[in-house]
Amino acid sequence: MNRKLSLMGYLMSAPYIIYFIIFSAFPIFFSFFLIFHRWNIVGPMKWVGLANFNMMFSDPLFWTSIYNTIIFLLIHIPLQVVVALVLAEVLNQKIKARAFFRAAFFMPVVVSGVVVTILWKQLYSTDTGLLNNLLMAIGFGKVEWLTSTAMAMPSIALMATWKNVGLYMILFLAGLQSVPAYMYEAADIDGATTLQKFRYITIPAINPVIIMVLILSTIGGFSLFIEPYVMTGGGPLNSTLSTVLYIYRQGFSFYKMGYAATLGFMLAAIIFVVVLIQRKLIEQDD
Amino acid sequence: MRYKVLLSFFLIAIQLQFVSCSGNERERGEKYLTYWPAANQQEIDLAKKIVEKWNVIHPEFPVRMEPIPSGQSSEEVLLAAIAGKTTPDICSNIWPGVMEQYVEAGAVVNLDTMPGFDSLLTARIPETVVKGYSSSDGKYYQLPWKSNPVLFIYNRRYFDVLGIDSLPKSYSEFYEIAQRIKEMPIDDGLPLQWIHYRNILPIWWQRLFDFYPFYIAASGGKTLLKDGKVDFDNDTAVKVFEFFAEGYEKGYVSKSLLQMEDLFIKEKVLADIVGPWRVSHLAKFAPDLKYTYGPLPRPGGSEGPGLSYADPKSIVIFNNTPYPKMAWEFVKFLVSEENDRMLLDMTAQLPIRSGLLEKATFKEYFEANPGLKVFAEQVPYAIGVDRTIYLQEIFDIISQEFDAACVHRVKTPKEGISDAAKRVRLLLERDR
Repeated sequence: MNRKLSLMGYLMSAPYIIYFIIFSAFPIFFSFFLIFHRWNIVGPMKWVGLANFNMMFSDPLFWTSIYNTIIFLLIHIPLQVVVALVLAEVLNQKIKARAFFRAAFFMPVVVSGVVVTILWKQLYSTDTGLLNNLLMAIGFGKVEWLTSTAMAMPSIALMATWKNVGLYMILFLAGLQSVPAYMYEAADIDGATTLQKFRYITIPAINPVIIMVLILSTIGGFSLFIEPYVMTGGGPLNSTLSTVLYIYRQGFSFYKMGYAATLGFMLAAIIFVVVLIQRKLIEQDD
Repeated sequence: MRYKVLLSFFLIAIQLQFVSCSGNERERGEKYLTYWPAANQQEIDLAKKIVEKWNVIHPEFPVRMEPIPSGQSSEEVLLAAIAGKTTPDICSNIWPGVMEQYVEAGAVVNLDTMPGFDSLLTARIPETVVKGYSSSDGKYYQLPWKSNPVLFIYNRRYFDVLGIDSLPKSYSEFYEIAQRIKEMPIDDGLPLQWIHYRNILPIWWQRLFDFYPFYIAASGGKTLLKDGKVDFDNDTAVKVFEFFAEGYEKGYVSKSLLQMEDLFIKEKVLADIVGPWRVSHLAKFAPDLKYTYGPLPRPGGSEGPGLSYADPKSIVIFNNTPYPKMAWEFVKFLVSEENDRMLLDMTAQLPIRSGLLEKATFKEYFEANPGLKVFAEQVPYAIGVDRTIYLQEIFDIISQEFDAACVHRVKTPKEGISDAAKRVRLLLERDR
């Protein structure tokens, strides 16, 4: 009976296991193999030892891309968490058209990233974009949303937040709905203010959700690709060159698959360390 | 994300397996050729017609046509096809800039070995430029098919308003007009705002349509490398950078990143850098617009025909074809006089062949389409790209320096060119 059951278990999980082997395990092992080689996809592979690592440590553009990605994360994560939490809190109240607003805020999540990015690129256009036309109509000057080094990354972070905030709002909403109502009632009897209730009841109660949102946003943020790829091409002056965009270019524009794999492993290591630190800090705080 | 990219590469490979799942049918003894044209509708329609004609003449050896499968770029798709050994027998959308990679991978047939190749090649292109289509091993793997020289197009509606008697030949004449545009009152009722528009995205291939053609025109036909070494670290390249830098600095050119807006059709710019494909586009989307074509300005505005970038495309036969001889027969059929005329009629793109303007087959077409005649006259003066596997990376470096020195002016044009040259030298030396 047990053998039958375990065979059935393997059969049931086979589709995912096959998918995992082909699209995750194999690429990971193959990428690891590639980091010691030079390979242009169509030619023979050449063993180069640690040459790809040497190149990486002396490649200023790679480190610029890491710096840019961190800047993006520093703007995007706090903005996303705060906006998602505020929206979740508001949409957890009994307000009119609540279901409509929940769906409306979630809508950008299901729209294709490329479509959203193309639309925002047009909105951000310095000379012909809607945002600048509105600003000028109310007496302000033009803002170089995507063409100045100071504004390009914040503009991308703002767009990415708009695109993804719905997902995190739903996660927070689920967390908020699991907070027992009696805790708020007890706090009301003790005379707690709204802010105190939020700080001492809501935040601790949804802490696991906050950790999850932070980790997901961090990993998602490190994967920044479509937005700079479509909107800025990594410019101006490489100020929006994200690490994944740089890896993509090395691999699929210049066909340096070994070097791209090396950069990919470095990025994975950085994400691992950042998430580890994040968890430690939040859990200590908890 | 990296896995997503790898995943998409695998998906392209799987897609290619389906597209060219011809192996089994061939194993069953069916004889046919597979052919991939470019994936735009005009070229698909052209390919359909040519293949239909071929299949009537050669029912024993039909051609099966599929447009290049969709992907980020046709170069990427073809590379995936080479890696997966799923290439077609023939492809007619090959940018010569990637040929060295295909040759290095042993993916393409040496056409020198094909009967009549030499005479066909010299019949299509002048002997002076024949060498430009050979590979670094001295052999020929591509047959030049079409060329799209890059020129300026000007909106004629503004000629009277701006007092333009003749098209600007020099940089200073060009920007004199730009200054007049800038001084025009905002409430004049005209949409005109800038002299021209170029996409400033720092992506390597964007520089094929601004810095590169201007450098070719200014230098009298130089490309970026000579004998495998940097050949753009000079005053001419600096002047080209200065030209673009001045445009952005003085606000003659918009720095916007546009996605869906055609500023020329909206008449917000006086001029635009275009290839012949734009002729049919304008006929379709702006039939009432009055315009004319002109050569790219040069620093001193010298007389004589202006040179430009050719944006050429070639035909290759891939090495995994079981029928190279028959594939060659189809290639010869593809570039026949009659089919070259059809290329003009259906796509408004220019076949690369000697005597294009004189031969009766084509003469009548150019008389009826004078707009395209200007481009055809430019074909003998249109230059291609260097033979190197690092071409995209070299253009990427130039693109970054263009961004720094011309668009954002954080360094001088001279420093920009000098830094680009240094970085390209390093690239070429590092991989040597």
